[in-house]
Amino acid sequence: MQPATMYTRDRCITGIHGMDEILRGGIPYGSTVLAAGTCGSGKTTLGMEFLVRGALAGEACAHFTATEPSVKLLENIRQYAFFDMNMIDSGLINVFDMDVLYSWLGLDKASFDLDDVHALIKAIVDIVNTIGVTRLVIDSVTTLCYKIKSEQLIRDFLFTLGKKLATLGCTTILISEITSATENAHWSSFGVEEAIADGIIVMGDVERMGHLLRFLQVVKMRGTAHSRAKHAIELTPLGVMLTPMLKWGAVSDKTNRMGV
Amino acid sequence: MSKQIKFSPDDEEFFGSVGSFGVPKFDNAMNGGVPRGFLVVGFTETGSGSELFAKQLTSPAEEPDNTILISTNESQLEIARVFNKYKWPTDIAVRTLGEEYNARVLEKELLASRYRLEGFKLPDIQRLAQTRFVDDDTQDFLTEMTNEIMAMGPYFRAVIDSLDFFMQREDPSRVVAMLRMMQAHTQIHRGILFVTVSNDTITPAIKQEMAAIADMVCDFKVRTIGSDFETSMIVSKFRNAPENLSIMVYRVTPEEGITPETVERIA
Repeated sequence: MQPATMYTRDRCITGIHGMDEILRGGIPYGSTVLAAGTCGSGKTTLGMEFLVRGALAGEACAHFTATEPSVKLLENIRQYAFFDMNMIDSGLINVFDMDVLYSWLGLDKASFDLDDVHALIKAIVDIVNTIGVTRLVIDSVTTLCYKIKSEQLIRDFLFTLGKKLATLGCTTILISEITSATENAHWSSFGVEEAIADGIIVMGDVERMGHLLRFLQVVKMRGTAHSRAKHAIELTPLGVMLTPMLKWGAVSDKTNRMGV
Repeated sequence: MSKQIKFSPDDEEFFGSVGSFGVPKFDNAMNGGVPRGFLVVGFTETGSGSELFAKQLTSPAEEPDNTILISTNESQLEIARVFNKYKWPTDIAVRTLGEEYNARVLEKELLASRYRLEGFKLPDIQRLAQTRFVDDDTQDFLTEMTNEIMAMGPYFRAVIDSLDFFMQREDPSRVVAMLRMMQAHTQIHRGILFVTVSNDTITPAIKQEMAAIADMVCDFKVRTIGSDFETSMIVSKFRNAPENLSIMVYRVTPEEGITPETVERIA
């Protein structure tokens, strides 16, 4: 009897240095990945580089910004050598201000009901479908979900959005703001995002020799084997660089300290 | 301490202590006209002719660029048609808040409904991707209108027809607060301000408060007599001139607009 052929899902090659090695080739196509991190952990840069690498490969990309105005986002991101404003001008990367989108949809109000949530999903899906977006970043899903009052609605929103985007073959990174990235912490603000996402990438800081080092850890990724080790992130002008972090390196991680 | 405005003797002589209502017979009935610095409040009924009266009150337009008609119900075209019909000056400022509301609020809401229902088309998406800021188009028409009145200079003449628009959309106490500000400005600058509000849109308490602020109160009435309508105006308050309190039955003529037919003194 011949062994069954090993099936492997097609991958969205992130192009981020070290990330595709962690994910054994990239994010499975159409996945919704939660990138949860503390402030200053490099979430936005990671998200933007994910899009830039896609744009360089000729993919249509979209970025929805809810935490800062797009003007400010672009001003900050253009300091990186990997970023080129022509990608925005030529429409390879489409940056949308959530405030503007809300205003256009008549959603400039404090909280969203079911109709509003459906209108928002429809708008995002419309955009992805019309311009053929294959890489999408929502920064941040936490800010967006603050407007959705019920946990059930947040769940519906993320589940429906993820399902529709997957059908369209769009790989999505939902950026989530968390206050702590320790083992006991939640990886999302509302507790439902992490259950619905296909993958979870946690980003935070660890203290080493009096310095705060950024780290990234892939906690979950459906459809692929992956490393679960912490990796150090360096935000260089050329982009995000990921290198394996020595297990004993983190002062806060007492069980891994040498000799203890 | 209240603001002091210096008026030149020449201006004082030119403008006088009273201004015309735009209806000579009304001026006679009110012993010369409306005193400068007066806020006149008209409580109206549908079909009572208050809209025409409001327009007619702007027609003396001693200084056209210091005269404004703010209409919340009519369009620029409709107003121009009436002014042309009666040969009233057309070089006064006219603001049509109803039209502005349609353009700035309702059209936006309509577009939002369309986007929600039909979704985005490619040109919409391209425009959305290039739009970096939400239109900072203030929707506070009440503040805008109050500011506009407060910016008017001495001896201005202003008509707001009608406050119903604001009473239906804002907290009525806020509308009354704005009216107080406009009344103070009118008094200090010796202007003439006429505002209308229909009886159906306000509570008795608000009506009472507005009447208290006003220097002159007119109730516009309409009733049927047989197969005919009779329109009348009751002047129920005239500060410092109770002899002007009266009931006037009026009609509309093609030559003069609103014209009193009978005047009955009630004080």
